[in-house]
Amino acid sequence: MNLRSIRESSELLKRLSNTELEFFESVSREIHLVDGAILFEEGSVADTFFIIVTGKVGLELTTPGRAPMVIQTLGPGDLVGVSWFFTPHRWNWSARAFGETDLVAFDAIEVRHKCEADRDLALEVLGVVAEEVVRRLHRTRIQLLDLYRNT
Amino acid sequence: MASVVGSIDSDCAEAMLPRPFRVTSQHAETKDTVTLELEPEDGEAVPFAPGQFTMFYVFGIGEVPLSISGDPHHPETLVHTVRSVGAVTAAIAGLRIGDRIGIRGPYGVGWPVEQAEGRDLVVAAGGIGLAPLRPVVLDVLARRDRFGVVSIIYGSRSPVDLLFAEELHSWRSRFDMEIEVTVDRSDETWFGDVGVVTGLLPRISFDPPRTVAMLCGPEIMMKVVANELASRGVAPDRVHVSVERNMKCAIGFCGHCQFGRDFLCRQGPVLPYAQVADRLRVPEL
Repeated sequence: MNLRSIRESSELLKRLSNTELEFFESVSREIHLVDGAILFEEGSVADTFFIIVTGKVGLELTTPGRAPMVIQTLGPGDLVGVSWFFTPHRWNWSARAFGETDLVAFDAIEVRHKCEADRDLALEVLGVVAEEVVRRLHRTRIQLLDLYRNT
Repeated sequence: MASVVGSIDSDCAEAMLPRPFRVTSQHAETKDTVTLELEPEDGEAVPFAPGQFTMFYVFGIGEVPLSISGDPHHPETLVHTVRSVGAVTAAIAGLRIGDRIGIRGPYGVGWPVEQAEGRDLVVAAGGIGLAPLRPVVLDVLARRDRFGVVSIIYGSRSPVDLLFAEELHSWRSRFDMEIEVTVDRSDETWFGDVGVVTGLLPRISFDPPRTVAMLCGPEIMMKVVANELASRGVAPDRVHVSVERNMKCAIGFCGHCQFGRDFLCRQGPVLPYAQVADRLRVPEL
């Protein structure tokens, strides 16, 4: 997968040097999901992470006896999944395609190994993942405020 | 001296006198929000600028400020969209066709639509905040060729709380503006976005140096959207927000709506974000 074409849309890819980008290319593949297809399931092993090229992915929580609850949707350029970076490397949520969706999938095990050997890359990736986690925390806090209840 | 005082009293009294209107249409937008169409009994149209408001008087119950949600190119019909949150708004939501109410206005400074001509326009609304921005959208669509890329991002509490749902579909089907909608809480009927409205900004295309933005919704929402727009390079003086406080007289007389150095009924409700950003961090205001 040539990542240069989507580099500007992704915070992670923008931060990488050309050499690092080549490594990420070597452990990536393109995938296409039809509407409703499951990308990963809550509790399963997080050995892959994704960047959305086109379409939309919903993060959802499954509860017995009711339809999955969508917590957040992600769009083009967004990183799908951060659990792959942290132990125990298991997904906290399920992810499902909303409409036809194209993604780039990265081998998370290879990226983790590379990060163990290359601390500069590890810091770069950690920075992007941490920023993404903070951004999502900030947005979740705003959602929890229930701003539109009386306005 | 007596005649001068008498003249002031007379002017004030006239400004506080509502014009009688009749409800000609009532449409339930959601379980607690209605859109009313009103026509003046004297037949005289009510020209208004997008973003202006009126004082809406339910006889015997009370008067509240309401933003106009109608089409500025059709001033013969006054349109208000109101959510039932108190005694007066509950009475308004309960009005039926033929009911008689009083209107003062329109008042206030509206959205600077002319500033957006020749530029990209971002309209960001949250909750009932889409109502005061609807006249902007209708005005822009009536002379679409004068504007660059036009985008609407709209956040709602849940799918059943979405305002103007049919109109959003029809605007989207025009293909000459981008519309992104998100909800805080989804349900099984919803296949759109879930999350805060700022999460939609990366989805829309606008050229920050030549963009004008108009934001209306809860103040926290407007702050986060304004900050996000600033981080993307939109000039703070081209970001406009609608600020609401307790308006009573609507003519800059009583001071109830004072917001720092501005009376929102006269200098507002629409103000440049750069002018009010500091004040939106003051709890006492």
